[in-house]
Amino acid sequence: MYDGKIVLITGARRGVGHLMVEHFLKNHAQVIGFSRSEDLGESHPAYFSFVVDVGSAESVSAGFSRVRKKFSRLDIVINNAAILTSQYAMIMPASSAWSMLETNLLGTFLVSREAAKLMRSSKWGRIINIGSMAVSLEPVGDSIYAATKAAISTLANVMAKEFASMNITCNTLGITAIETDMLSQLPREKVNAVIAGLPIARYATADDILNVIDFFSSERSSYITAQTVFLGGVN
Amino acid sequence: MNNKADIVMEAIYKALNTLNEERSTDDQIVVGPETCLFGEGSVLDSLSLVSVIVDLETLVSDQFDKSISLTDDKAMSRDPVPFVNVTALKTYLLELLAE
Repeated sequence: MYDGKIVLITGARRGVGHLMVEHFLKNHAQVIGFSRSEDLGESHPAYFSFVVDVGSAESVSAGFSRVRKKFSRLDIVINNAAILTSQYAMIMPASSAWSMLETNLLGTFLVSREAAKLMRSSKWGRIINIGSMAVSLEPVGDSIYAATKAAISTLANVMAKEFASMNITCNTLGITAIETDMLSQLPREKVNAVIAGLPIARYATADDILNVIDFFSSERSSYITAQTVFLGGVN
Repeated sequence: MNNKADIVMEAIYKALNTLNEERSTDDQIVVGPETCLFGEGSVLDSLSLVSVIVDLETLVSDQFDKSISLTDDKAMSRDPVPFVNVTALKTYLLELLAE
């Protein structure tokens, strides 16, 4: 399905990012993983792991310099890297809020910006942001996290306009809860209660996520841009 | 052997010629030292200027193995801005490379 495609996934080492790495590798893409620390868990010959802190402009710039030198182009980017600190706003440390802003929002901006520069030459690209049901459900404790995830939808929508003439689409997938390291940081009862309130009251599976990723990535989706798709009936 | 100024000028011309390749034959930019890139008399619309800047940053950064940014606060607060014409842009790039 992805023969010849070069795919970059941020936050590639764990959770949803790792699922997507495996999916694209299985479907014959060359995959670049950006992670804050060395990714020793994936040794596929078509996988290239770069240590990049997406919240740092210098680090992203250096990472893309390596991508440009090694591959000369880029087809699909998935902005998945994110930090979640769930805490009541009145006691949320400013440092935690900054970290979420830097990784979730600024990181998505920086990676998309550099990706578009590379995609421009081939006049083809797919930028997909991983959003969250928190944007719609606005759970207590997730003020900054939900705000950053709302912001990346808006970011994609504006970039969709700016990049449309280069045949680059920008979309957002708002995922629901899936069994990951990030989920384990939250009280299980709280997550279960949120899931019970969804129109489709179950946790997401990997395939639920990969289905929409494939849709946004498809050659046939060149007319799909500035869209946010939520899973599980969230809207 | 080309000196630094020649290499930079060549990169600017290359970025503008790349833009010309994307334009119709009756919409070609005349490329030369006085070609105006920004402000009154500019031959580029805003998206075309962005394209030239992006290509130029990449070309110069790769050529000299040094990260160059043409759109930071320093560039945009300069009077006149470095994009007023090709010669001014070359001068600014040489300053950045000398830092």
